Amino acid sequence: MKELQKFAYPIFFAVMAVLPHLLNDRWQAVAITFLIFAVVALSQDIILGKAGMFNMGQALFFGMGAYTTAILNNQFGWPIAATIPLAILIPAMFGILLAGPIVHLRGDYLLVVTIGFNIVFVQVLQNNLGGVTGGPNGIFGLDSLSLFGFDLMSQVAVYYFAFIVLLLTLWVMHNLAGSKPGRALHYLREDQLAAESIGINTRIYKIFAFGLGAGIAGLAGTVFAVQYSAVSPEAFEFIQSVLFFSIVLVGGSSVPGILLGVFVMFVLPEIFREFATWRYFIFGFAMIAAMILRPRGIWPATFGKIPKFLIKGGSHGAQ
Amino acid sequence: MDIFLQQLANGLTIGSMFALVALGYTMVYGVMKLINFAHGDMVAASAFVGLTIYTQVMGQATSLVAVIAIFLLTALSMAVVGILLERIAYRPLREAPRLSAVVSALGASLVIQNGIMLIWGPRMRIFPELVPQVYWDFGGVVISLIQVIILALSLILMVALYLFVEKTRMGAAIRASSIDQDAARLMGINVNNVIALIFIIGSSLGAVGGLFIGLYYRGITFNMGWQYGLYAFIAAILGGIGNIPGAMLGGMLLGLFNAFIAGYVSSTWADAFTFILLILILIVRPTGILGERVAEKV
Repeated sequence: MKELQKFAYPIFFAVMAVLPHLLNDRWQAVAITFLIFAVVALSQDIILGKAGMFNMGQALFFGMGAYTTAILNNQFGWPIAATIPLAILIPAMFGILLAGPIVHLRGDYLLVVTIGFNIVFVQVLQNNLGGVTGGPNGIFGLDSLSLFGFDLMSQVAVYYFAFIVLLLTLWVMHNLAGSKPGRALHYLREDQLAAESIGINTRIYKIFAFGLGAGIAGLAGTVFAVQYSAVSPEAFEFIQSVLFFSIVLVGGSSVPGILLGVFVMFVLPEIFREFATWRYFIFGFAMIAAMILRPRGIWPATFGKIPKFLIKGGSHGAQ
Repeated sequence: MDIFLQQLANGLTIGSMFALVALGYTMVYGVMKLINFAHGDMVAASAFVGLTIYTQVMGQATSLVAVIAIFLLTALSMAVVGILLERIAYRPLREAPRLSAVVSALGASLVIQNGIMLIWGPRMRIFPELVPQVYWDFGGVVISLIQVIILALSLILMVALYLFVEKTRMGAAIRASSIDQDAARLMGINVNNVIALIFIIGSSLGAVGGLFIGLYYRGITFNMGWQYGLYAFIAAILGGIGNIPGAMLGGMLLGLFNAFIAGYVSSTWADAFTFILLILILIVRPTGILGERVAEKV
């Protein structure tokens, strides 16, 4: 498997790098959607898969990033590129603030609270709080991204923007896996009590995971706003969060598993359009079957930084 | 004062529906420690099943006997669906990591919800008028026959369930299994049967709740399960999840809270206020009002 991944990653990146030139307009759009949702799913993996917190409100942070970009661009005339730092920081800050009082909650309670956050967020958008969110219709007619005087209006340019964001996310996650916070998250997910007793400040690391996941999702939100040049509340309903939640767990919280999950959830329906109404019916069965056959996910993550001789039997998947 | 009394009546009506649905969540959670995400969709499905039984089996009769038959047949069909759900989606995952069962529950929810859409179509359907439209006007406070029936029948069912759980041997088996499954097994209790039993009871009560939702709101849609399911689940947490009287109390309180928010503040913010209430309760007193039966660190 390791050998396969050594070759698979460069091939995957090479294919993704030339992909837009092989596709027509419609499939380019599908590919961009894949990239955006892959980033959101990976950001969800930091909170759910890596830190083991039952977060079912990831669409909230995704939407917050998208709305930050849309509001700053449309209402205050900021260029898109200038909104990016805030589109990362605001969701990250909210992630930290919201996580603060709730990370100590037991799994299922955390899950319901994060659903609650997501629903409150959508209702705030729909009720047009502060008169800037555009109500149920949302905000449309955003500028295109421009950098250093170049107007990156074409769909291919948006594709590369999304691709760079995905690469950035993968780079962050790769570094996280080998870093001190990454190891801390791994231990606290496997056994919180044990992690605490060897001196890991679980609370800080849990909040850290929320902040990091929220910030990355916010960045994906900016890409979303640029791609559709519009944002509206229904794109960030909590049913979207349910999909991201399921993708991470069915995928097994590993990068290939999650990318596969995003592909199945968002690209396959575009290929089999005639089955559109059957889509979720089939996915539902697939989710049940996947969990029964492979309870740890289709492609379970392995925690690679522990030397073999230290591992005694034991399993290393999402609990 | 009129608004207060009117919203009190409305709140008790909605609250008893929440409570009926919440019982299904709380009983399953009590024994299996699993949020049965499909329960809300089962409730939605029962409204559609009731609609079909009314048109296909009962020939659109609205006599008292026919209405009782519709309730019984719907509850029976949903009990069968509940057993199947447990057999197919939950039983194989009892020893699996907890999140796998959550995903399986979400999958089951998608299957049921979209199954309704594939069978009955994506558009809103109108639930038949099974109960005559009778209203009483008490000096500005209007109460309908439907509200009285919903409240009375819910109370009867809840008292019956309470007595069943507290006074019978099978009830004792349920309580024992929710305290400690392994110990219950050692005492000779067949936990598989207990789980099947709580799915039968939970699904039938949910079916009655679903029919009430149809009777009260009239418009039923395939995806309404999530909405009512979430509310009922909040009610269960409010009262202390795993706690049967707690679910009844939580449902009533949540219904009243919702009605008063809609009456005094704004109905467009009702969801947000409900969830803010939930979040506050979980931060301040995570075990709910009556405390949870589940002996576990929160």
